[in-house]
Amino acid sequence: MTDENGALSIDFLAGFTIFILAFIWVVSMIPGIMIGLQSYTIDYDAVAYRTGVILVEDPGWPVSPPWESFNDLQKANVTRFGLAVSKDTPNTLSQDKVKRFFNLSTPADPTVGFIYPDDYHTRAIFGDYPYGFNISLVDLGGQNESVGDILPNGTGYIRRVVKIKGPSNTTIGDAKYSKYPSFYNKTDDDINQTTTHVFSILIDNPKLMDEVKDPAYQIDPAREQITINITDIRSTITNNITAGIDNTTSNITLIDVKVYKKEGGLYSNVPLPASEFPYINSSSARLAAMPAINVENVTLKMSSYYFDLMKAQDSQIYIALGFNVSKGVVPQNSTFLNNTQALPDFYNMDGKLTFENPNTIPFNYNYEAENVTQPYLRDAVLEVAVWSGVG
Amino acid sequence: MGNTDGQFYTIEGLAAALIMLLTAYLVVNATSVYTAGDTHISDMQLEALGTDALTVMDTNQSRYTMSPLRNIITNGTAADNQTFGTMFGNLINNRTNYGMDHIQYSASYSYRDGTDVKQTFLRASRNLSGGEHAVRATKWVFVNKQLGSIPVEDRAVLVEVLMWRD
Repeated sequence: MTDENGALSIDFLAGFTIFILAFIWVVSMIPGIMIGLQSYTIDYDAVAYRTGVILVEDPGWPVSPPWESFNDLQKANVTRFGLAVSKDTPNTLSQDKVKRFFNLSTPADPTVGFIYPDDYHTRAIFGDYPYGFNISLVDLGGQNESVGDILPNGTGYIRRVVKIKGPSNTTIGDAKYSKYPSFYNKTDDDINQTTTHVFSILIDNPKLMDEVKDPAYQIDPAREQITINITDIRSTITNNITAGIDNTTSNITLIDVKVYKKEGGLYSNVPLPASEFPYINSSSARLAAMPAINVENVTLKMSSYYFDLMKAQDSQIYIALGFNVSKGVVPQNSTFLNNTQALPDFYNMDGKLTFENPNTIPFNYNYEAENVTQPYLRDAVLEVAVWSGVG
Repeated sequence: MGNTDGQFYTIEGLAAALIMLLTAYLVVNATSVYTAGDTHISDMQLEALGTDALTVMDTNQSRYTMSPLRNIITNGTAADNQTFGTMFGNLINNRTNYGMDHIQYSASYSYRDGTDVKQTFLRASRNLSGGEHAVRATKWVFVNKQLGSIPVEDRAVLVEVLMWRD
């Protein structure tokens, strides 16, 4: 009979070895399994967070000229979207940037605006993985904006609370004319009646930059569009029966808009491109060519692109609008909106003679609330959702 | 009759073990397990939201105005505390879609009074019962007012908001 005392069963040995090997295998596999399990959702949240940070805390690239001022033909130059007014103002977004960001192209006209998803993926979402995404903004003082697809279940998500900086603007109209008649109508005097009337506006960049340092409240024409509405201009005509001029029937013509830059005491004429031509009589399209006849009101929307290219941050900019008033087509001597003595004349204006004489007092686009509606911040909420765009 | 000594007859056990392991692997691999470590994501989202809301509330609307948060703490009336509740509640709960969110909060601010640190309650959307998983958002706010025994002067107070989801 075989003695089995002290013998190690081969069954036990085999079973224990298999168990230990399996145990080691499972333990070494668990971290990998967990990473595999969580990677997508963690990734989506991280990508959403990153996009939220880029949009809310970064002004985008390029900064000069700002990316939002590039038109659709130039949009290839935009490398990164960012909606912040500047890198120093996280959570404060620029209205111009927001408007441009949500300017989506349509299938009918893909050349206008940014194309979803490609243009947004490469400039806001980043990465090689084809994420699906939706970026929405609810402007608590305005309208909702959105780009992207309908949200599926289980997306990465971030919500940011922000301010939107509304750009400055001014309306020069009856209220100002009646309060300061001598200021807005320097030719309100029969002796000085003239056929050409010049109304000028001063953008004093060095003063604008110096007086307010915080970009959230600063008027910076090289970063944000400025809007100048000149309305009720007919009311500035003084009737002249002998010349056949009256403020109800006479024709008002905008001859031209000239821009002068003063740098180092010297004035230079800066051509005004057609892309900066004014809007006439509340039209939705810019004027195609000057002169413009039968003008009732003029709106100047000066883009940041134009100012940035001028390199005018240390310069004073004068914008001079030349008008004449006629009974039919021939300009008549008359009194009309005029705050500038153009020398020797509007067509051959000399900057120093014109803008540095006591008869010229340009409208100053500055920080006085009476002159200009100042930048104002309003609340908004931005949401970014990211998910798998595969399948 | 055969002798079973030394025979490898646990093949059934081996097969069962492998099947169990395979099943466990498939189950674990097919299911999204929300581990305790993942809560930091929703915590981070909530904290970012609260910090944003406090930042926005402490931003002047224009050059000529005081920030709403500074105004609320400086005046310190019951109506101001209610204004805080309305503003903060709206900012953290507003969404672009799907109606309002359901984030609750409890806010207070603290300041130094001599060697003591004192706390003043601002507003809560719901009382804390202790069971909530709350996250904290804070912001230093500059005010000019009398706090405790210190007379009116420029001071910094720490606004602290606890936030949690229903």
